[in-house]
Amino acid sequence: MSANPATAAGSDVTRATGWGLAVAALVVAGIYVGSRGLRDFDPALVSYAGASVFAAFGLGYRYAMWLRRPPTRLYWRRGWAIFAQKGARRHNLRVLGRLVWDNVVTQRFIERRSRVRWAAHWLIAWGCLLAAAVTFPLSFGWIRFETAPDSQQVYRAFVFGLHILSFRLDGWLAPLAFNVLDLAAVLVLAGLFLALWRRGRDRGALVVQQFASDLLPLALLFAVCVTGLFLTVSTHLLRGLQYGFLSQLHAATVILTLLYLPFGKFFHVFQRPAQLGVAFYKRAGEDGAPARCERCGEPFASRLHVDDLKQVEAALGVRYGLADGGHYQDLCPACRRKTLALAQGALWQAAGRGPERTETHG
Amino acid sequence: MNGEHAFFIDHARCIGCHSCVQACEECDTHRGQSMIDLETIQRPDSVQTAPQVCMHCEDPVCAQVCPADAIKMTPDGVVQSALAPRCVGCSNCVLACPFGVPKYQVELDQMMKCDMCYDRTSVGKRPMCATVCPSQALAFTSRAEIERTRRGHAVNEWRFGGETVRTQVYVMVPAGVPAVRVDLLRRDGLQAAPRGAAPPVDDVAVLLGEA
Amino acid sequence: MARLPVSVPDLVRRYGPHLNRAPAGGWAPAGEPDRVVPTHCCFCGQQCGIQLKVRRGKVVGFEPWEDFPFNRGKLCPKGVKRYLQDEHPDRLRAPLERRDGDFFAEVSWDAALDRTAREIRRIQDRHGADAVALLTGASLTNERAYLMGKFARVALRTPHIDYNGRLCMVSAAAASKRMLGIDRAANPWSDIPRAEVVLVVGANVAECAPITTDYLWQARENGARIIVLDPRLTPIARTVDLFIPVKPGGDIGVLNGMLHVMIGRGWIDRRFIADHTTGWDEVVEAVKPYTPEHGGAIAGVPPALIVRAAELWGPAKTSFLLHARGLEHHAKGVDNCMAAINLVLASGRIGREGCGYAMITGQGNGQGGREQGQKCDQLPGARDIENPDHRRHIAGLWGVPEASLPGKGLSAVPLVEAIHEGRIKGLLLLCFNPVVSLPDGNFVREALERLEFFAVIDFFLSETARYADLVLPGALMEEDEGTTTNVEGRVIHHRKVVDPPPGAREDWRIVCDLAARLGAGDKFAYRSPAEIFDELRAASRGGVADYYGITWDRIDREHGVAWPCPTLDHPGTPRLYEGARFHFPDGRARFQPVTWRPAAEPTDAEYPVVLTTGRVVAHYLSGTQTRRIGALVDQAPQPVCEMHPKLAATLGVADGDVVRIESRRGAITVRAQVVRTIRPDTVFVAYHWPGDRSANTLTVRAIDPVSHIPEFKVCAVRVTKVERPVDALAALPPEAGGLR
Repeated sequence: MSANPATAAGSDVTRATGWGLAVAALVVAGIYVGSRGLRDFDPALVSYAGASVFAAFGLGYRYAMWLRRPPTRLYWRRGWAIFAQKGARRHNLRVLGRLVWDNVVTQRFIERRSRVRWAAHWLIAWGCLLAAAVTFPLSFGWIRFETAPDSQQVYRAFVFGLHILSFRLDGWLAPLAFNVLDLAAVLVLAGLFLALWRRGRDRGALVVQQFASDLLPLALLFAVCVTGLFLTVSTHLLRGLQYGFLSQLHAATVILTLLYLPFGKFFHVFQRPAQLGVAFYKRAGEDGAPARCERCGEPFASRLHVDDLKQVEAALGVRYGLADGGHYQDLCPACRRKTLALAQGALWQAAGRGPERTETHG
Repeated sequence: MNGEHAFFIDHARCIGCHSCVQACEECDTHRGQSMIDLETIQRPDSVQTAPQVCMHCEDPVCAQVCPADAIKMTPDGVVQSALAPRCVGCSNCVLACPFGVPKYQVELDQMMKCDMCYDRTSVGKRPMCATVCPSQALAFTSRAEIERTRRGHAVNEWRFGGETVRTQVYVMVPAGVPAVRVDLLRRDGLQAAPRGAAPPVDDVAVLLGEA
Repeated sequence: MARLPVSVPDLVRRYGPHLNRAPAGGWAPAGEPDRVVPTHCCFCGQQCGIQLKVRRGKVVGFEPWEDFPFNRGKLCPKGVKRYLQDEHPDRLRAPLERRDGDFFAEVSWDAALDRTAREIRRIQDRHGADAVALLTGASLTNERAYLMGKFARVALRTPHIDYNGRLCMVSAAAASKRMLGIDRAANPWSDIPRAEVVLVVGANVAECAPITTDYLWQARENGARIIVLDPRLTPIARTVDLFIPVKPGGDIGVLNGMLHVMIGRGWIDRRFIADHTTGWDEVVEAVKPYTPEHGGAIAGVPPALIVRAAELWGPAKTSFLLHARGLEHHAKGVDNCMAAINLVLASGRIGREGCGYAMITGQGNGQGGREQGQKCDQLPGARDIENPDHRRHIAGLWGVPEASLPGKGLSAVPLVEAIHEGRIKGLLLLCFNPVVSLPDGNFVREALERLEFFAVIDFFLSETARYADLVLPGALMEEDEGTTTNVEGRVIHHRKVVDPPPGAREDWRIVCDLAARLGAGDKFAYRSPAEIFDELRAASRGGVADYYGITWDRIDREHGVAWPCPTLDHPGTPRLYEGARFHFPDGRARFQPVTWRPAAEPTDAEYPVVLTTGRVVAHYLSGTQTRRIGALVDQAPQPVCEMHPKLAATLGVADGDVVRIESRRGAITVRAQVVRTIRPDTVFVAYHWPGDRSANTLTVRAIDPVSHIPEFKVCAVRVTKVERPVDALAALPPEAGGLR
């Protein structure tokens, strides 16, 4: 890193704080403008909005800190530069579309690890995305519903204050619109059960799992879903029994989840898409020259990748420069493994505990 | 890890039998996937082989170069496989590890590596490879036991050019050697080797005086 | 009669070898096993402790057994993957009867056993009892080995029973019996690390007895010097103090040469020789001509190496000598072993802590399998079938007239020759795959084709079983219970882990059912292997290999008991010859003068290259089991012809080229592996594969006059570079004998 790591770290924090504040400010501005100067803002949901603003700060801060890491920064920049290369943009856009479809929409890459794992992840992911698509606009005052002035049976939906559709309460859309969060909860719960079942059967996963990173997020999602479903049960089946308490409990779980968002496992939702650039980087590397191993002469990676890694290592303070001017990074992984054994063998030979061959035959 | 026990490698004992490779995939954290490497150094010239487990660095280069911050250590210092939700399959770790350990799993687009059989060591069992190793080139035992039973001594410091790496895993070297230097790549064609070590040539014709 | 019912590729397609690559239930994360059963690996004479994991009645994996003292959890790759023969798709699940031109048909057990008994009776009625023979194996438990010996003598009443230990241990056995009195490793392995110098002769320890490696290296850690004699620079030879690249068959040159130097320099224990041995003077006389120069000329090595070996071995205070098939697989195998034992006796270093001698037994029950009476000249307890006292003891125990016991029968190779000549017409075989493992493979196949009736008990359809009229599906080691005796003479307990698959039966049940049909049911009324073991104990009582004091309970409690163990309170005998008491009436060891003689088939202008054969670490014996395990086949898919670059250059062969190796008996085609780690005058091919990849197509059918071991380690061949063959056999998967 730089000559003075302490200062560098300090400036990183300042910079990241700035980014966090900027993102939070953006959300506040979005709420203000989107709710038409808070006219459409529902004060009952203010705690949700507040937690969202905090989460925005956290995400901005964490993202900026993350991008300060030399390898991340380099990949980020290289990825975008390659993506935005003149002449390849249209092609890259198409590739990006496919990557988004595969990695975000269908998430099929997870299936290669296990089908259950994929199903669990897909259900949780899309349950959460669906819920987020409803909750954030609602709590930000971006959408609102009201009864039509001319009929108690017709609901009107407004987005950013613009009336976009009306639907009848006895029609097919109404139950869907009012229960979309329940649907999301069911999806997430199904995913959670699959995930826990898989974990319970996988001795390997059981051993390496940690509460804060692997179980806490599942517990949070479970709490959000169950308390949300209780609300529906209370409304429809128990005539509003304990509704006030339940809605506060639900709010608490959601707010906790939002506060956890930037720090725990959920951060990957924001981090992971940024890495779609790796695919572009790999392709650019394959199109360029290969790096050949200094020992065996075989290609083992792209020249681009090896050169970039040397830069990253320099920035990190990893000093792989060798006495003769070579660079350890130019040795392929297999030759590194071989060299270690040769080095150890040479030490014993030098200490006089090798075979006697040279004695008998000079 | 198992309180007082540590992992020791003595490459000179290795007989290349592949027990470690075969047993590795029986470990629950990566069942069906072998994470250990066994290199045959240069079969036409020698039968020498080189086993390589993860050395579990104190400050792992693989984790430093990971753009996704996906490589984590357990509190007891064991470097784990990349976290599945984060790993983006970039192979930075594969290329940067001084010991050549992490493996990019093409079909998963993920990095996986030796985690010292965390499912075993975390409950006091020995790792698969070191338990089965017939030559005990790979050994998992106490430092006291190693010092009592082996010649030389165990070190866990490595020099790769200007980089000093300290590891949780030890290697057996002659007494008085403080660290293993992997310094010079002799650039005479394809026979690069560490300083002072001739490439291994175990030529029976030479032994017979026929060469 | 018994030609293959359909072509080899058709047989392979139906019966394998196919590869099992995953445990029962697949590689997906499994839950906790229901049971973890401590037992032993079946894949070599070391008999390592291993625990098998069982879930829902199926073996799903293993867990090292670190408490078992011999291996402390260590396992070679065969041990690690052995559990993959459980739940194998090739397992035979019904008796098979050959249908010429149409594979084998599944028949009922009753039909199969009835027919087997009927055919045996028919042949014996017409041609005499000795027209039927029995070939068995050294991978059987002690109980089964004992049962087979009794079955031959009591139910079949044929003298002709021999076993595949004939291809393995017999040279060492004969030498030990002659010179020390007991056919067993003289010391437990724990003596190896206590030795100052270890001499390893013709033993590729790293590949054929991998667990022994740690014992050797531990000796080195303790300061021992290690000497290795081998035509190839093996993995252990790479780093030992002194490696002597001896020419195949030249060991006596080095061993006698060393003794010559030791006598000259006074490095012999005269007091021990005077007090505890006989025959020393003849040995002195015999080794007189073996100057280092003369020995070196025989062994094809520089004399300085012999002198150096004597310098390391001679003056040491403690020592251990180990040898294996490299020394024993010769038409002079007994002489070779005797030359080695001469070195041990001359040093006086035996029968004490850190002073020892051992042959490294190869097969699963190589030690126990040669004591229980399944050898052609032997009765249980390692007794002599021609000794009237021994005959009386056993006849009494079995409840048969002594006169009804047959005499000495033919050993394996002459037995197959008798089949070839038509003197033996019926054969029952189990635990043996002679088509792959006997020398001169084409001759063996011809012999099997001439049998009038041939029945095989096996759990897979081995290359030999393809020639059978009837195949009776047997059980794996872990599907039965019993004992074996490991390389150290330690009797150990193989627990039953799972049941045989439906349709297959434990071998002992099959044999007892057959005995009943042959009218000897009352002598084979066992209800369990435990009852057989109890009878075995009584049968061995008072014999050399006395098991009387050993019970399964004791074995479990004590992690094995070393024989001889004459009483229940006897601790067993891990180390033989303590106090320099040898197993002869006078207690004295017998020196034996040894003179080198050339191999049965020396090289000449027509066949100028020495072929030597051996094993690789990933495979066991004829490969019937290990060529069906995916991970092991991946590790060693096919045999290669190792040759030195100097030889390769004269042949115009490059690494990876296909070469044809021809001897006077046949030819095989394999890929060349050009390596500097072998003598330039020698090529090496491992023998685990069948057909056109079978090294034993080439080997010579010459046997040691005393032990009858075949000369697997030397024959004359020529090698030529050829195009890759495109015939149907070459197109098979390599595990079935194809070429890649």
